[in-house]
Amino acid sequence: MSLKLFSRADDKVRVHKSKRKRGRAAPPALKPAQAEFTPAPAEPTDPDPLKRAFQQGRYSTILRNEEQWPPDAPERSEIIAGAAAQLEQGMALVPAGSVCIYTTLTAQPGAPEQDESVEPFLLDVHAVSNARFQRFVDAGGYDELEFWPEEIWPHLIELKDVTGHPGPRYWRNSRHDASRSDHPVVGVSWYEAQAYALWIGQRLPTEAEWQMAASWHINSSADLMRRFPWGDAMDRNRCNVWCSGKGTTVPVSEYPEGAAPNQVRQLVGNTWEWTDSEYQILDDEQRPIVGEMPMHVIRGGAFDTYFEVQATSHFRTGQIALARTYNTGFRCAMNLADAKWINGT
Amino acid sequence: MTTEPYSPPGTIPCLICESRNQRDALTCSTCYAPMALIHEAVAQERDPCIITVIGDSNVGKTVYLGVLLDMLSKRANEFDAVPKGAYSVNLPHTVISYLGSRRFPPKTAMEVDTWLWAYYQVSRREEDPQIYDLVMPDMAGEAVAAEVAAPSTFTVIRSLLEKSSAAVVLVDAALAGVGSPQPDFFALKLMTYLDGIVSTNSRKRSKTPVAVVLSKADYCPECFDNPRAFAQTNLNRLWNICETRFENFDFFATSVVGSLAYGSDEDENVIPYPLHVAPHGILEPFEWVLSKL
Repeated sequence: MSLKLFSRADDKVRVHKSKRKRGRAAPPALKPAQAEFTPAPAEPTDPDPLKRAFQQGRYSTILRNEEQWPPDAPERSEIIAGAAAQLEQGMALVPAGSVCIYTTLTAQPGAPEQDESVEPFLLDVHAVSNARFQRFVDAGGYDELEFWPEEIWPHLIELKDVTGHPGPRYWRNSRHDASRSDHPVVGVSWYEAQAYALWIGQRLPTEAEWQMAASWHINSSADLMRRFPWGDAMDRNRCNVWCSGKGTTVPVSEYPEGAAPNQVRQLVGNTWEWTDSEYQILDDEQRPIVGEMPMHVIRGGAFDTYFEVQATSHFRTGQIALARTYNTGFRCAMNLADAKWINGT
Repeated sequence: MTTEPYSPPGTIPCLICESRNQRDALTCSTCYAPMALIHEAVAQERDPCIITVIGDSNVGKTVYLGVLLDMLSKRANEFDAVPKGAYSVNLPHTVISYLGSRRFPPKTAMEVDTWLWAYYQVSRREEDPQIYDLVMPDMAGEAVAAEVAAPSTFTVIRSLLEKSSAAVVLVDAALAGVGSPQPDFFALKLMTYLDGIVSTNSRKRSKTPVAVVLSKADYCPECFDNPRAFAQTNLNRLWNICETRFENFDFFATSVVGSLAYGSDEDENVIPYPLHVAPHGILEPFEWVLSKL
């Protein structure tokens, strides 16, 4: 049904029908084709427990329980040294500092805040990728109740992929898409993130630790705090947010220019990241704001974060702990005291 | 001897309701549509294309339209969108300001003179692009409901739909997903009303493109996986009338809010808060509609 302009005999408004532009319709917007899904191949695992733990990337577990590995285990010393080397390469030191956590929705200078000191700790240089998480799934991590809090046991049967098998939400038959092996794992709830962290002998960072890593508010006379890991101005070429135009996740190693001073990448953009902290927030009149179910803090923004102010080092938001969204992943942390290769113990 | 209706000199017709207005009037005295619409239409020598975004109260029309216009202004998906008149920016400005402050914009009032109109010139960045003059008013859902229940209550709505090249019908997927029949029944009434306006033959299906947008789909992620299947299961009355009476229709899922929480005001009314914004599926219905024009 088209609109016709009005033409009345005594009207001075003229309609120039001959110049009405009617071109071809724009080409139909192609819906993104159902992406080809190529299941990632299974990796053979070594029957030897120590070698298998190394294959699975459970380096912290290897080092923390060094005494439990039999003295005559094959290549024992090499594997233990290799585990330390992998951690040294894959994790970065975040120095001591302090952060200001906004306690109300209005997260602007002058809003109520809570100061927290942060001890030095180690943080994953990269967010956990699909390939890394695959090892947890292949090892039967979803069936190992020791990694899951008791209150979540009845919900474990809901933590399935699209084919009804254990795994992140968008996987198929417990496999991730091989073309996205190096992308951050998404579609995982807070419980799945925490279970993986425990499985490899680590933990999720607290909200204060995450903000410390992103803002780099180290203890110094300069008292500088960054809005972004690289500085104070948003730069869409340094991170993957909505205005960057990607429209999806990118490999966890991309955007080296957006790294924090200690080379931790993609704290801002690509995916939101689960933290260990519960989400508590107030409105401007100090009344509590709550979700339909318990929420945990997520930080950093994602590829679809529309407002740049919501992808800063200090912006805090929450997600229901059981939510398995397409834009939320995580990275792991560990206490510096557990870093034996640094402490020389 | 036939007589032409009297047209006072120096008046021009409103683009929407065709009532006569002074040439220098800013808005139509009857439907309050910006008179700039007819001025632009004549100046461009091009029929403007009205796309009406319609739906029940609280389904998310204002937020959807505001975010859509803002995205187009930012050249998303290779679109170029230029607002024609400063008044066209009021809607995205209002919506983005509220969402950026982690608030929802207030409910659109029923009074027609408070509705925000958007008139944009949109094209795709390619050789010899087709240019669309898009008029998209933000109507109050309660007014839509009143008009559907008792036609001619809000004649501007009927006039808009009569002159629309396409319709975008928003339906609350969150309510439908939890089993409420209300979205389905309202959508059925709305589509029946729409059919009565756009259909030229009761035996043939209407060719007017209708994009059915399942809003608030973040509440039920399976809606994104397969909007058609979701509609067929949870909005079966709507599905049936679309199949029966419309030739060009499709279903889309959309959401704007990444996470939602609730507080209360001083009167202990529940207030929803959008904790962060993650628009999803905003452009796809619009692209589809343009492809059908």
